Amino acid sequence: MRFHVVKRDNCPLWKKLTWYLAAVAAALVLGGLLLLALGVNPVAYYSRMFTMGMVGNKIAYKTFENYLKVFVPLALTSVALSLAFKMRFWNIGGEGQFILGAVAAATVAMKLGPVLPGALTLILMCLAAMLCAGLYGAFVAVLKVKFGTNETLMTLMLNYVALYFITFLGETQAPWNFYLDPASVRPIFASFSKIVAFPKIPMGKFGLNVCVIFTFAIGALVYIYLRYTKQGYEIAVVGDSAGTAHYAGMKVNAIVLRTVFLSACLIGLAAAFKVGTAGILSTSITDDVGWTGIIVAWLSQLNTAAIFVVSALISMLRYGSTVAATTFSQVDSSFANMLQGAILFLVLAADFLTRFRVVPVQKGGKANGHG
Amino acid sequence: MAEQAYAIEMRGITKTFGSVVANKEVNLTLRQGEILALLGENGSGKTTLMNMLSGIYKPDSGEILVDGKAVSIDSPEDAKKLGIGMVHQHFKLVDVFSAADNIWMGKEKAGFTLKKDRYDQVGEMVKKFGFDIDPRKKVRNMAVSEKQTLEIIKVLYYGAKVIILDEPTAVLTVQEIQKLFEVLRRMKEQGHSIIIITHKLNEVMDISDRVAILRKGEYITTVNTAETSEQALTEWMVGRKIDLNIDRPIVEKKKPLLEIRDLTIRNDEGAVAIDHVNFYIRGGEMLGVAGIAGCGQKELCEAIAGLRPIESGLMIHQGDNIVGLSPKAILEKGISMSFIPEDRLGMGLAPSMSITDNMILKNYGETKGPFVDRKAGRQAAEHVVQELGVVTPSTETPVRRLSGGNVQKVLLGREIKAGPNVIVTAYPVRGLDINSSYAIYNILNEQKKSGVGVLFVGEDLDVMLALCDKIMVLCHGKVMGVVHAHKTTKEELGLMMTGALDLTRKYEDKPAGYARDTNITPEELEELNRAKEGEED
Amino acid sequence: MDMDKLGVVTSFIHNIVVYNIPLLYGTVGEIMVEKSGSLNLGVEGIMAVGAIFGYIVGCYANSLAVGVFTAFLMGALCGLLFAALTVSLQANQNITGLTLTTFGLGVYFFVGNGLKAVKWPAMNDYANIKNGFADIAIPGLSQIPVLGKGLFSHNILVYLAVVIALVMWWYLNRTGPGLRLRAVGENPGAADSVGVNVKRTKYIHICLGCGIMGIGGYYMGLNMSGSFSSSCWINGYGWIAVALVIFANWNPALAILGTFVFGFFNTLRVSGSSLAAAFPGPLGWLAAVPTQLYQALPFIITAIVLVATSVRKREGSGLPAALGLNYFREER
Repeated sequence: MRFHVVKRDNCPLWKKLTWYLAAVAAALVLGGLLLLALGVNPVAYYSRMFTMGMVGNKIAYKTFENYLKVFVPLALTSVALSLAFKMRFWNIGGEGQFILGAVAAATVAMKLGPVLPGALTLILMCLAAMLCAGLYGAFVAVLKVKFGTNETLMTLMLNYVALYFITFLGETQAPWNFYLDPASVRPIFASFSKIVAFPKIPMGKFGLNVCVIFTFAIGALVYIYLRYTKQGYEIAVVGDSAGTAHYAGMKVNAIVLRTVFLSACLIGLAAAFKVGTAGILSTSITDDVGWTGIIVAWLSQLNTAAIFVVSALISMLRYGSTVAATTFSQVDSSFANMLQGAILFLVLAADFLTRFRVVPVQKGGKANGHG
Repeated sequence: MAEQAYAIEMRGITKTFGSVVANKEVNLTLRQGEILALLGENGSGKTTLMNMLSGIYKPDSGEILVDGKAVSIDSPEDAKKLGIGMVHQHFKLVDVFSAADNIWMGKEKAGFTLKKDRYDQVGEMVKKFGFDIDPRKKVRNMAVSEKQTLEIIKVLYYGAKVIILDEPTAVLTVQEIQKLFEVLRRMKEQGHSIIIITHKLNEVMDISDRVAILRKGEYITTVNTAETSEQALTEWMVGRKIDLNIDRPIVEKKKPLLEIRDLTIRNDEGAVAIDHVNFYIRGGEMLGVAGIAGCGQKELCEAIAGLRPIESGLMIHQGDNIVGLSPKAILEKGISMSFIPEDRLGMGLAPSMSITDNMILKNYGETKGPFVDRKAGRQAAEHVVQELGVVTPSTETPVRRLSGGNVQKVLLGREIKAGPNVIVTAYPVRGLDINSSYAIYNILNEQKKSGVGVLFVGEDLDVMLALCDKIMVLCHGKVMGVVHAHKTTKEELGLMMTGALDLTRKYEDKPAGYARDTNITPEELEELNRAKEGEED
Repeated sequence: MDMDKLGVVTSFIHNIVVYNIPLLYGTVGEIMVEKSGSLNLGVEGIMAVGAIFGYIVGCYANSLAVGVFTAFLMGALCGLLFAALTVSLQANQNITGLTLTTFGLGVYFFVGNGLKAVKWPAMNDYANIKNGFADIAIPGLSQIPVLGKGLFSHNILVYLAVVIALVMWWYLNRTGPGLRLRAVGENPGAADSVGVNVKRTKYIHICLGCGIMGIGGYYMGLNMSGSFSSSCWINGYGWIAVALVIFANWNPALAILGTFVFGFFNTLRVSGSSLAAAFPGPLGWLAAVPTQLYQALPFIITAIVLVATSVRKREGSGLPAALGLNYFREER
């Protein structure tokens, strides 16, 4: 019996979801097997991971606050990346854009923070971060549009340039380097959390960082933007068929540029949120959000609402594994990366089944099914 | 005497793509050592049929026999093993490789190391077949005709006994065609069997032993070339005239809306697609454009819509020169163009988006404010769905999920909603059933009655004869004539399409394509003539 | 020049090779993968996987050959995963590759950190590994002053890398299978039409290429004397390899040169200060250059090369025309 692979016309949403959930479940099972091999009870581990150790925890609210600190940048970055991906512009430069945004925000915080009122500083931090990150991304878009430069590789390179830039700031003791803590002998970044920080809304002992609210608001705005505005419509058309967009008189290059700039801007904003909350720079300020964001965006099929859900779950996974690592010391926190990878591989495999059908072919020149 | 098995026999072959029946119960026989011409208009299914012999498609039902034995051809590799080789219309060559390497890469016993003597081996073989190609020359440096030759050599090199050529002469000069025919005759003497897909009747008469004719996916007949004539072949190709009962309202003609003068356009490969063409369209008139696939219709439509730059000539719309304008500007002038390509989801529609979203494609920018007005779009969509009978679950269904015919209805419906004064529509009823087709004809007639000028590029001569006022025939980018539909015959059109008849000089005082009451100013004509003289230097 | 200064230069050249040979493995492996038409962004992860498993198994088997073989095998396994997803299941190559990086690095840290609790094999305990990794002086050539010790007195894995690179160059340009591989990467439709088995060709060469990357990772592990703490992982070597492929114009022989160029700047970071001390006049300024600039230099150079090649519209470029595209025969 030979097989013939044929493209599917259409796959209903419930079928897709079923396949994807099955893939996630399979990944969890595989992870569970690995845990067993290490002598760890998978159920115990997973329950600790997915509840992030909040059950029976007196300071559970603190845990939740920390969880949100992972969730906010990831959700916002994923939304930003999805904008670019919708137009098939592979913005792999999330890491670099985030770093530049962070540095810009920190600069404003440290230089203008002492002088201006808090709220104004925060706003300027966000704007500076957005501008710097936006330009960093737009730069690559210009190269792509004008010369056809491969944006995947270019943004990748710029990631490392940005990384070493921030490393430079963090390790070079020199009179001009105001980023460093003057009191310390070894070079470490100075903290500015006392100068300026995003306010929290107290809800009992739990403090809800306003950035969380902003992030949801921005998510809603992006959703509306994509669905209801002319620019959103243009993005959809360009991403679907650049030929059709051109035929309809759209200026495809301008649209690409504009959207990539916007995408990078939002990543800068995510960085500003993180920096304004943490109050200090760090060479690992990104916490790999540029990479994870790509996976989240793809898993969510670039749907804004889905991104929030998937970000919440992946954040749970990532943060939860660091929490679980304290209890289960044999299981390193990089278990999360492995699990994430396994989930994605299996979803990629499941995706094949939603896009294609495998048709058995009988010998003798006859085929079942239509071409 | 025992009858020798056919080299190739295809019995009852049917192939469907979605709802389109490309081949329906087709029978074909190829005798050993003969040259068979496969003749038919576009859409008749010739290439699809041959692709099943070459292993690219699999038939839905039917049998294929090679040398009398039933076989299953699942891949190009299988075809190669069976001794079937096909030279495709779109070349399958690796640009950065040399000629020799393009051949060598498929060689079974190529040996692990590449020896320098492969160039000599290939060179010798090339000479043996009477061709003249430098085996070391890189494909990307080759002219189109050289690449064609290389494809033919490739197939011969693999020892194909049955060779299929898909429109091989389309890119060759007269001398090269003669050389090709010599080669084909020599191959025939050496025992090869050849199928040549072609439109050119004179070549059919020249080279083939028998001719098989397909029409609209169905097999018509096979005749001995010696016993037939170009006239007879044309009749089989286009069929007897069918009375279609399509309305042709007589509308009072207005001044020419669009005038094309001396237009020359190049295609993507750099060859001339439209060659010094003249024609005009009046308001309230429907001008049909007939011609074999690839005679330049696509490039002409794209140029009028502003999607393709022209090389020289004038395009005057209501007195204004529209050459060089952006697609948007041309839309604003009231010229609407819809082109239904073979895959039907080419330009014009965004496949993953809904009908509503596709309806607002051309006018979404006109609403005030940043938001898109989907309500108006939805209304327009519902209107089109109702009027044209589009079969769809809703107006929000992605266009990609609609069946072929319905996609076209949406496309045309959208064009008309924009209220144009010139409609350029190419293959609007491609693949549609009778009722949908009539709905489209009615719409076009309504537009004509309200004073719109319609340029109708079509495949079905019967329809054009019934529907259009005048018909312009293109052949290899040149106008062969502009005739009144009610005064011409299908045979005449067929002959013009294949280049056998040229009516442009029929009326001495009234050269085809020039309007008496032209809008073109004398200055513009001056300019044009000067440019032409410069060209001829 | 006095002997001391000569010693510094020799040491510098020696270090260029020592620290940057993994780049050559990664680049050459990725060239093979990309020539088949697949852009594999998972190099970093695959090298990590090769490193960790090669090291552990090699140590316990007390054999360098076993280590190399294991690293190759694990790398090829990752390649198999990549091929299965992108060739058979038509998955997006970018996403698959990036996931492979995350996953591979995850495995690396998981096993590396986790097994610390068990018993981590120390390289020096295993004589065969330690000796196997010792420098071998090529007779004759290594006597050349300065260059001799710098270039021709290295451990066997270094020589192996150069041999692999040269063999691959020969394979791509002078053999039948190499010709077919290139055809698949340039125009899979053309290759298919003459009967080349596109799928099988891609699978084989993706696995081979990823296996080679794995060996590079193993080398890195040995070079770190098997300490495997996360700070020792040379960040970004996998990405530099992806960049080097472009810089070397997809030519494995040029990759050797490219490794030197990139390695030169990379090693300046480490040895810059000693060079500046030895030659204060002409090279004194080297000590003042921030290390991070050296670290960023490979990426900056590649970015420039990327732009330059796209401006020139890739005339004479080794870029496979069908790179990054999945092949599906019945596209209609």
